[in-house]
Amino acid sequence: MRAARDRDWLGGLSGAAAVLSGGAFLTLMGFLLIDALPALQLDFLLSPSTSRLPDGTGIGPAVVGSAWILLIAAALALPVGIGTAVYLEEYARRRRTATAVGRALDGLAAVPPVVHGVVGLAVFVRALGMGATILAGGCTLATLALPAVVSTAREALRSVSPEVRLAAYSLGATKWQVVRRELLPTAAPSLVAGSCLTLSRAIGEAAPLLVLGAVSFITFVPAAPGDPLVSLPTQVFAWTTRAHADFAALAAAASVALLAAMVGLRLAGAVLGRALQRSAR
Amino acid sequence: MNRSASGRSPVLVAEDLSVSFAGKVALEGVSLAIPRGCLTALIGPEGGGKSTLLRSFNRLNELTPGAVTAGIVRLNGVDIHQGGVDAATVRRKVGMVFPEATLFPRSIFDNVAFGLRASGQVEELHNRIEEALTTVGLWSGIADTLDARALSLAPGDRQRLCFARTLALRPEVLLLDEPTTALDSAATARIESLVHGLKGDYTIVLATSGRRQAARLSELTAYLEGGELVEHGPTETIFTNPRDARTESYLTGRFR
Ligand SMILES: Nc1ncnc2c1ncn2[C@@H]1O[C@H](COP(=O)(O)OP(=O)(O)OP(=O)(O)O)[C@@H](O)[C@H]1O
Ligand SMILES: [Mg+2]
Repeated sequence: MRAARDRDWLGGLSGAAAVLSGGAFLTLMGFLLIDALPALQLDFLLSPSTSRLPDGTGIGPAVVGSAWILLIAAALALPVGIGTAVYLEEYARRRRTATAVGRALDGLAAVPPVVHGVVGLAVFVRALGMGATILAGGCTLATLALPAVVSTAREALRSVSPEVRLAAYSLGATKWQVVRRELLPTAAPSLVAGSCLTLSRAIGEAAPLLVLGAVSFITFVPAAPGDPLVSLPTQVFAWTTRAHADFAALAAAASVALLAAMVGLRLAGAVLGRALQRSAR
Repeated sequence: MNRSASGRSPVLVAEDLSVSFAGKVALEGVSLAIPRGCLTALIGPEGGGKSTLLRSFNRLNELTPGAVTAGIVRLNGVDIHQGGVDAATVRRKVGMVFPEATLFPRSIFDNVAFGLRASGQVEELHNRIEEALTTVGLWSGIADTLDARALSLAPGDRQRLCFARTLALRPEVLLLDEPTTALDSAATARIESLVHGLKGDYTIVLATSGRRQAARLSELTAYLEGGELVEHGPTETIFTNPRDARTESYLTGRFR
């Protein structure tokens, strides 16, 4: 009886919490949209330049910059992260190696994004001579996303039934064959969904890119990784620091675009993951 | 090939074999010879070490992190742990069937083809698959639906598909780890008659918690308890006249 009533209580409490957080999100979105409405126009999205004046400015360069950053971060973090996960789960025969690498990754995950920026500034911008470019931004966000990519990939690999894995080995498959034919295909749905989630978080980060030296005024759409570092989250930040009221609307509108991109990426990951899962059945 | 009265030559030999998992002893000082062409049953209580012993014969324990093996296992006289011996080659010669059907979530064809493809034996793929499915008695029923998902089969047929998948590699030895434990009695009977039919063509080691199953199918029986090989010998002797009190109490326990 007691336990049942406690459960009811807990149920009510967590229900209330869910309503509260859902409400908070909707309120936030509501305010954001109201603020953004005056600025949300097609030429704002497509404008090829972000100027110092509120009129005629837009987020074209920032959107393209973030897309570049996403591509670079994905191209670096996914192979390295998934490779690390496969190594840790399947190849690291000595437990100690796996534990040490795991600890290092945990440590990396605990590093605040702004500190990733500081390290990125020292390593990518200065030591490797990339300068404050999109490439440096992509590399920095790749290190930021790496621990999460590894841990979601490890989780996905572990979701493969250990019996099926052993059965594959018992049929004379080599490690690499088991990884390529069994583990990766079976883990693919959660790998894709998890990676998109992680990357969507990474592209929302402003702090590390600001530290690297992101620019907020640019008169052309970046066309190559070597172009100056522009991105949506740093553009939002830049506009929020401006006094003129019109900039508040611009910041809100850019925030809406950023959120849409992040949610879109997550949805794409979830849909693709589910499609992969269905085709595997 | 020595089938003289003094006993058939052993295919597999364990010499003072011990296995532990992360320090926990699962098998201790087991010495046992598996004669060619015989069906040897491994019986004993839960956790006795049956699966661990089977997995020592195809080097599967080493895939468990923290597993440590000491002692020697010989396949046709060759130490399977010695450098230069390839685990995959050992596993193709020493096939295994697991307690639960462990099919890949793919087509029937792909399941049976798995081992052959993994070892690059793809020239006679169709013939080998037909041969294996015929041996397990599935061919006539599913010849036209080889592209169907393996997991859509009935549990008993799934397990027979697991047998086919292993047999397609034409192994010398079959390790059967409680192959009927997840099946109903009708499916169990079919698997048992399949195993009976395989006897003689293969050297079989059957781990089972079914004492009657061991008595029905095996020529030789080994009793394992607490990781120790308590005794082994002709099945009839073990069942009618066990030397060790532990064997006797295990064998009588069930019929009480
Ligand atoms: N992967 C593992 N990790 C840790 N301990 C293990 C592992 N596999 C087996 N063991 C332990 O080794 C001992 C022997 O287990 P084993 O599975 O070989 O027994 P079994 O005779 O097959 O039993 P069952 O009837 O349960 O199948 C048990 O104490 C078990 O807990
Ligand atoms: Mg077992």
